[in-house]
Parts: sequence; C-alpha cells; structure tokens
Amino acid sequence: MSPGRFTGLVTVAGMLFLWLPLLVVVLFSLHTTASLSFPFDGFSLRWYERISESPEVRAAARNSLVVATSTALVTLVLATLAAYGMSRSRSRWRAPLSLLFFLPITLPGLFIGIALLIAFSRLEYSLSLVTVTVAHLVYVFPFFFLLARAALERLDPALEEAAADLGATGWTIFRRVTLPQVWPVLVGAACLAFALSFDEFIITFFVVGPDPTLPLFIWSSLRRTIDPSINAISTLLLAFTVLLFVVTFALTSWGERRRRGTVDPLVLTGAQEPR
Amino acid sequence: MSGDPRVRIEGVSHRYGAVAALEDVSLDIADGEFVTLLGPSGCGKTTLLRIVAGFERPSAGRVLLAGEDVTGRPAHKRATNMVFQRPTLFPHLDVFANVAFGLQVAGVGKADQRARVREALELVRLEGYERRRSHELSGGQMQRIALARALVNRPKVLLLDEPLSALDLKIRLDMEVELRRVHRETGATFVYVTHDQREAMALSDRIAVMNAGRIEQIGAPTDVYRRPTSVFAAQFVGDANVLPVDVVEAGDEESTVQLGDTRHQVRCPRPQPGPAWLVLRPEAVEMRAGTPEETPGTLQGIVRDVAFRGTGFGCRIELPALGAQVKAEGRGATPPFDVDDEVGIDWRPESCWLLPRERGDDTPPPPVTSEPESDPAQARA
Amino acid sequence: MSAVAEPPAASPARAPAPRERGLRLGPVLLTLPAALTLLLFLIAPLAAFAVYSFLTGSLYEVSGPLTLENYREIAQSELNRKLARNSLIVGLLAAVSSVVIALPIAYWLRYTTSRTKTLVLFLIVASFLASYLVRIYAWRTILGAEGVINSGLGALGIVDEPLTFLVFNRFAVTLALVHIYLPYVILVIYAGLGPLQPAYLEAAQDLGAGWVQRWRRVVLPAVAAPVGSALLFVFVLSAADYVTPQFLGGTASVMIGVQVQVAFQGTGDYAGGAAISFALLAGFLVCYGLVALGLRLARLDRLRFAS
Repeated sequence: MSPGRFTGLVTVAGMLFLWLPLLVVVLFSLHTTASLSFPFDGFSLRWYERISESPEVRAAARNSLVVATSTALVTLVLATLAAYGMSRSRSRWRAPLSLLFFLPITLPGLFIGIALLIAFSRLEYSLSLVTVTVAHLVYVFPFFFLLARAALERLDPALEEAAADLGATGWTIFRRVTLPQVWPVLVGAACLAFALSFDEFIITFFVVGPDPTLPLFIWSSLRRTIDPSINAISTLLLAFTVLLFVVTFALTSWGERRRRGTVDPLVLTGAQEPR
Repeated sequence: MSGDPRVRIEGVSHRYGAVAALEDVSLDIADGEFVTLLGPSGCGKTTLLRIVAGFERPSAGRVLLAGEDVTGRPAHKRATNMVFQRPTLFPHLDVFANVAFGLQVAGVGKADQRARVREALELVRLEGYERRRSHELSGGQMQRIALARALVNRPKVLLLDEPLSALDLKIRLDMEVELRRVHRETGATFVYVTHDQREAMALSDRIAVMNAGRIEQIGAPTDVYRRPTSVFAAQFVGDANVLPVDVVEAGDEESTVQLGDTRHQVRCPRPQPGPAWLVLRPEAVEMRAGTPEETPGTLQGIVRDVAFRGTGFGCRIELPALGAQVKAEGRGATPPFDVDDEVGIDWRPESCWLLPRERGDDTPPPPVTSEPESDPAQARA
Repeated sequence: MSAVAEPPAASPARAPAPRERGLRLGPVLLTLPAALTLLLFLIAPLAAFAVYSFLTGSLYEVSGPLTLENYREIAQSELNRKLARNSLIVGLLAAVSSVVIALPIAYWLRYTTSRTKTLVLFLIVASFLASYLVRIYAWRTILGAEGVINSGLGALGIVDEPLTFLVFNRFAVTLALVHIYLPYVILVIYAGLGPLQPAYLEAAQDLGAGWVQRWRRVVLPAVAAPVGSALLFVFVLSAADYVTPQFLGGTASVMIGVQVQVAFQGTGDYAGGAAISFALLAGFLVCYGLVALGLRLARLDRLRFAS
C-alpha cells in the first residue's frame, strides 16, 4: 500500500521542522558578529576559540564527561544484569519489576529531580556530581533496559540450553554464549546512556551542586548574555551526541547483520520486538 | 453491452524496474466462468490478478470490466472483490463488522447489513458466527469469513489469490468443494490464482497456464491435460514423461515415431516429420514383466524405485538404451514389480501426445517446481 | 500380557534437563541490584516526597504533624487553578499536535518502498538526541523579536515591524514541546504500525474504502493503543514542564510546573510544592486510567494481527 504524496510531503516538512532550528543554532555559532539575527555577516570560528579558552566551559564539559561515563558504566552493569534476569526468568515478579524499571520514563523529570533533592537533603548529603550521577542513573536506566532486554530476548534460547546441557553454569553461559552475541547492542546502549546523560537538564537542575554539567552551564550562561558562544557550546554538544549515535547505530546494525544477515530499522531503535 | 466479456485483459504488460513481470497478456473471461491462472511462482499470475483488482497499474495495456475501461481506476472504485492469500480479517472487528465492512463503507442501512451478512454467512456455512473475533477462528474458518466478506458485496467478479495455500491439506480439499458450491450458487465470475495444478483442474472451467509473464495455454482442464501445447504446460499440469522421438511417418490419424530401437504408433493428427517430444502421462505407461525377448516392441527398462501410495503405486523405470527415466503409475493393492526387475514399457496410441522439438535438443527442460512462494508483488509486504 | 520391548534404561545421574533449569529462581535474582537501586533512589525519595505533602512547610524545611492543609490550600487557590488550566491546555495542545503530525510521517515510514526510509529514520532518531536545552534555546533565538524569523522577514522586506506574536506565549511553548517530543511519538506510532501488513489496507481498499475510510476504519483503530500511550506521554511531560514556559512562555502562560520549581528553589515551601506535585501526579494517574479503560472497552488494547 504505497503511501501517497501527502504523507511524503508531511515527512519532508517534519524533517525540516526537526532539524532546521538545530541547524540555525549551528549556523550562528559560526557568525562573525555577536548578533543572532539576519542578515548573516560571515563565517568565523571566534566563538569556538572563545569557549575553548574558557576554563568554565572546559570544567563543565569535563564534569559532564565524568558523570556520563560513570552513568553509562553503572547502568551497563545494572541494566544488563536486570535484563538478563528478566528475560531468562518466568517468575511472577516480572510484571511488578517491569513496572519499576520503566517508571522513570513515565514520570516527569520535575518529580524525579525534586524527590531526589528531598532525599539528599533529608540524608544531609550535599549536592555534587555524585548526586547528579545518581539522578542520571535513575533516568537513563529504562532506556538501556529496554534495548538490552529486546536484544536478549531475540537470542535463540536453544544455544544457551545446549551450553547448559554440555555442563556450563550460569556465569560461563553468559560469558561465552550470550555476551558474544549481544555485546554490540550493549555497547550501543551504553553509548546511548552516555549521550542521554550528557544531554540531561531537567532532573540535573535540581540535584546539581557547585560543579555544573555542560547543559547546566549553558543555562547559567543564558542568564547572563545571549551570544553565539552559547551556539558554539550547543553545536559541540549536538555534534558530540550525534556522533555517539552514529557509532551506536553502526555497532548495533553490524551486530544485527552478523546475527541475521539483514537489518531491520525498527528492531534497531528498540522500538519493536523482531518477529 | 451484452456482447462484452465480463473481464477483458488486453495486451497487458508490466515491469518492476528492469524486470518484466507480464508480457503482452490478453484474456477474455465470460460471465459466470471460473478461470484459473496457473503457474509457478514468479510467472506473473498474482501480478495479473492485482492489476485486474486495481492494486497495480499496468505499464501497458488495458483492463475492461463489462466493456468499461477501468485501467486507471483505483481498487476501491472497481466492482471486483478479492480474497487474499492470508485471511486479513480485521482483528479489531468481530465477524459481523468484518463481513459488513464493504456494506458499511458504501453506506448500506443497518437492517440491510444484518440481512446480507446473515445471507453471506449462510453461504459459507458459518451462520451464527457474527459475534466471534478472528483469533477465535481456525484458518479454514477465517478464509470462509474472508470469502463471505468479499461476496456480501455481490461483486460481479471475485478474485482469489491462492486462498487455500496457507491451509492444511484436508481443509484445503473441503474448501475446494465449498468454493465450487459457492461458485454455482452465486453465479459470479471467479478468477483464481494458484500454483497447485491439481486444485486448478478440480475447480476451473478454464485454465490459463502461465510461464515467465506469458500465457502459454488456455483451455478446459481436460484439454490442457490431454493436449498440452508446450513442454512447460505438459510438465506443469500433472506429471509427465517427456521423451525425445523422431516422427518417421506422419499420417492423418495415426503417425509412427521412432524411439531408440523401437517404433510406436501415436494418435496425434498430422505432426511434422522430424524431431518431436512425446508426452506420456504416468498413468498411461503400461509395464510388462519380462526380458527383452519376452516383450518385443516395448522399451526395455529396469525398475529403480517403487512407491506405494495407498490408492495405487508409482514406479521409476530407467531406460538404459535411451539414458532416460520414466515415471509410471498404476492401480492395485500390491505393486506388481520390485526394484531391479526387468520390464518392457509400452502405451496405447491414443494415450500420448506430440509436441514440436528442436533438432539437437535431446534433454527436456527440468520441470519447474511450484513452491508456494509468492511473486515479487507480494514479497514487499 | 505379551512382552513389550522396554526402552533402554536411562543413563544414571544425568544433569537435570535444560528446561528445568530455566525455571529456577536464579535469573530473577539478577534483577536485584537494579531493583534495589531504583527502590532506594526513586521509590523511597518519592515516598518521602509524598509524605512531605502532608506536613507543614516553611523555608526549605518541613515539620509535623500530618495535615491536609496543603491540599486544601491548593484546592482553594485561584492561582493554582489558573496554572493548572494553562498546563492542561498546553499539554493537550502539545500532545494532539505531536500525534497529528506524527501519524502521516509514521505511515510514510511504514509503507514506503523508497530507499530514503533509512535516512529519515536516522534523522528522526538522531534528532531525539538533541539536548532539551539546546532546543529551547534554538526556538528562543528563532522566534524572538530579533530572532531568525523576524530578521529574515525584515531583511526580505516582507514585514516592517517584528512579529511579536511568535514568542512569549502559549504558541511558542507548544511549538517547542512538540519539537521535543515529536521524534518519540513518530517512533512509537511507527512501531505500532508494524503488525498492520499492507494486505489489510489492500483488503480495505478492495472493499471500497478510500483513504479517509481506510484511516478511520483500519489504520487508526490499529494504532489506537500506541497513539493513546503517546498522547499520555506527551501530555504528562508537557503539562509538568517548568523550563519551557519560563523561557518561551511569557507572563501570561506560566504553567504549574514552574510553580513547583519555584516552591522548591525559590520560596522554600517544600510541603506546598510537594502537595501540588502529588495532586498533579494523581491527576496524571487518573488520565492513564481513563485512557487504559477506554482502550479496553473499545477492545483496542491488545490487537493480534496475523503475520
């Protein structure tokens, strides 16, 4: 049932709608003047020079890197274990656990952020990059879990059963049968977790301490002056996360192709279980 | 206009990119006929059906329904209805809403809907199923509902795209009976697509044998079976032994052909002298036990395989002198021969048929296996 | 009884059959670390949060005893009602707009045979990763009086004075929210269309349905559940948003999320803020329940398509 011209047009319009505003930000990051409006006076890298020299930008970027890396690693371990456990079990706890694991996506960031703020203040634990990492962990978990579980459920259980029949126990099976098959997806999901953590603002806003992450830094810059240096930071942020996504995409499609000989975009985005 | 055929396909060709799915196909289908498009996967039969339905627009040619050119008309504006290979009953609707779908789209009143749905369900012998949902039905039942859903609109032309291929054999055979009955009771024109030649012969008034985008032969099942016009048709419709012979004497009623050392009579009017293909159906092969001396005038062979089939038996006989294998079938409770027996092969002059052959062409093309895979048109789904 | 040949005796002391192993308690225990983490860092804080709403708040602190005073104050507050109404409207607008735009795009993605499909999917998922803040910033610079649109129109000579209706109003807030959630909605609906094979649409067309009827009778019912969940998702997250209204909303379109944020970081009224939050949460739960109930009643919640 080929789609008609109308849906094609809306799709084009939709893509423009999604990307033009972002491209405008990129464009003006290269502006010679401090103005953010037309006419466009010419290209220059001065704003990038300025932010690369700024110690605050460097510090914020470093903080984001630290937080994102920690988040990705911890989530990798926790969510992979959880996904593996869920997919290999038939326990009646699966339903409530599933609910718990997906809860962070359904709650507005406002609630998660404030709840954590309250918790930390109650425990008299001062806000820092640690609290930010914890918050990101909670937020990012469902995304990783979803991807990992989808990948694990796609595996042929007969392979693991064969290994068990040959005498292998749990950890060995995981290490030598499961992991070699799913590691591309896991690495991809970790990259996604990293990117989501790097980008995160809404929850971070409440639990951040004296050291800002990059988005927080952008926010405070907005309070002061709006000039293309913000565009420059934003462009770098955008480029970085998109690059990470490209890596994720390449890895998961390579892994998928190895397994199945073909690539199904739906399955890759974790949006659908394969048939 | 009363003179027009119910369906006329005129010079239809269709390409998918560089691939020609149909080449200059023409066919007239009379009102009330049951015509089957028969052929292996990829031959274009489904493409042709979809063009008649209105899902594809042919690259060239016209389609006329009752004299009206509908080539440019989309499917929902044609007076045809289709039964698909898979039931495609809408899962969010119950049986009533499924069957009444076309009526609801057309704005038919509620009372009329109820009456006509009941009528359609009676036709397929599923009265009372109105409130069921598709996941509560078996495969055969779903296809019958799909049939009802198509027929409730009282289409003049019903198109069926291999509707039985997804069903189990037993159910398929029952469904064939149902289809014939429904065809009789409704009097509608049926255009059927299948790769199963047995099904085609059981159901059709006429069969159009298709190969590589063309219609090779059109005729009543008995004609296509007894008098195939090409080796392809001979091998595709039913089983066939195709042997290279030479026509030495061409007569008005009977001719003589030379096969290896022996000569045989063939009742095939006025063939050309020279090389030809002899088409011999397995059930026409007569086997006589014994050594060459005991069975003069027959082809010498050694039985290589015997298979018991319940209703009879099948044999494969190797003819060492010709380097060919012949399939034979016979009735009887016990196969009369064992492997490695020596036999003589013969047949009656009226039980065989001749087809033209190129000189030097000594091996018949291998029969095309009709696997239940769909043509490119359906592979996109 | 005639002797029946016995099957050969089973070999002794074999390891338990693999199927039995699959049923052991073990695997579920692997979820424990993650579950504990979430319980500790999500459920417990939320519980504390809930308790706060029943206490008395004062300057970044709360004190007992338990009381319903906060909730009573919210219910009577004119301001809160106004904010809630505004949030409701923006949430609904954002949700409905996202879905309406996403439906044709998801349809195109699902049924196109064009090779650009992968590119479009890539663009959608990549845009998903653009930071929330970058998007807000982008729209601010585009819609403002000296923004890209106005300066562009001015440079082209189309307008003399900048269009002020573009920003600092509900329109800008909704636009930004749609921009944020559209990728997600497209993907959810696209996934929902997966089981709807083209054959179903062809069957509908064969039965006389043009595109309007096909959408109404086949496509929309098939994706009712994903659409419902997407609507809820966008509605809930948009209504509770506190950054976008501050940045793009202007004075007339403050939303309730802002009120909460201010309560916690501005006035320090923890209890009051908590009460608003949980009232909101209760409202959201009611919405979830209504949508789920609606889908169940229409029997659209668990459709099984033949493959």
